Amino acid sequence: MASITSNTPGKVTVRRVKLERSYERYLWLFMRLSGVAMLILAVGHMVIQHVLNSSTNLTLQFVAAQWNNWGWKAFDIALLWMAIPHGIRGLFNILSDYVHNGGARRVLAIVLGLFVVATVIWATIAIVLFDPAAIP
Amino acid sequence: MTSLILTVRESIRYRGRSGQYSWLAHRISGLAILFFLVIHVWDTANAHFWPQAYAWSIALFKNPLFGIGEIGVMAAVLYHAFNGIRITLLDFKPEWWRHQRTSSLITWGLFLIIFVPIAVLMFSHMISHCSEMAAAGGSCLRIPAFSDFAQYAR
Ligand code: HEM
Repeated sequence: MASITSNTPGKVTVRRVKLERSYERYLWLFMRLSGVAMLILAVGHMVIQHVLNSSTNLTLQFVAAQWNNWGWKAFDIALLWMAIPHGIRGLFNILSDYVHNGGARRVLAIVLGLFVVATVIWATIAIVLFDPAAIP
Repeated sequence: MTSLILTVRESIRYRGRSGQYSWLAHRISGLAILFFLVIHVWDTANAHFWPQAYAWSIALFKNPLFGIGEIGVMAAVLYHAFNGIRITLLDFKPEWWRHQRTSSLITWGLFLIIFVPIAVLMFSHMISHCSEMAAAGGSCLRIPAFSDFAQYAR
């Protein structure tokens, strides 16, 4: 897309090219879009839950009060759906730097993919079905 | 395995300057968040599936050992988020590649300005929790017993 030419050091030449569609490209884009979303969702979550509230006075009753509200449930589900796929895709990218065998890479992709699906489904069920009234 | 040892050694020896340190910090912070997040998500799901285990775990997480880890996760999220935005901007704006060094320094600066006061605040929450426990004759270092949360058993 761009190159630094030797006769103009420090100058960058930008040449836009049209790339073919591929699922690798959509994952590349997903890493960036989920990143921008998580600047609000993940940093917001950290500041709200870990600074303004604190783990030192977190109780099940506090969770029940928050998950009595569908807005909070939606916030947490959105963050879950961004962070787990982003993090596991990132892990796959890192492992790809060390695993060069095509078959081993395919096994990794399948195992990590299944892990994403299982984690996201399990946690989504928990958030959706959580019943604040069931907490004593 | 040899390539992993090579990577660790060369990551320290290789003098790629600002861009290389940003890359390394982005990678380590991403892995650290992921490690924490996987535990956190499966643990939190227990609030629905197994409330007694969840109640016990959040009591355990009040231990300062976990508190220190929590401050570390805060650092990782803040740095990774700011540097991730920098990566994204540079990916879409190759014209800005010449500002690689400046932008990575701005990222580190922004991270420090925001992280340091937050870390002080989190640390003080930890201290006041421990002094409350001590005043009540307990200790914040004690590992809670699972049976203390029997009222949540299903
Ligand atoms: C808070 C906002 C976040 C932003 C802006 C962000 C942004 C990014 C970007 C732009 C990349 C590079 C992607 C690529 O090279 O294709 C990346 C990689 C990565 N991210 Fe995030 N991310 C965020 C949150 C997270 C979270 C919550 C996790 C953990 C669950 C995570 C784990 C990772 C990992 C493991 C990598 C791979 C690092 C590498 O290839 O060296 N990120 N992130």
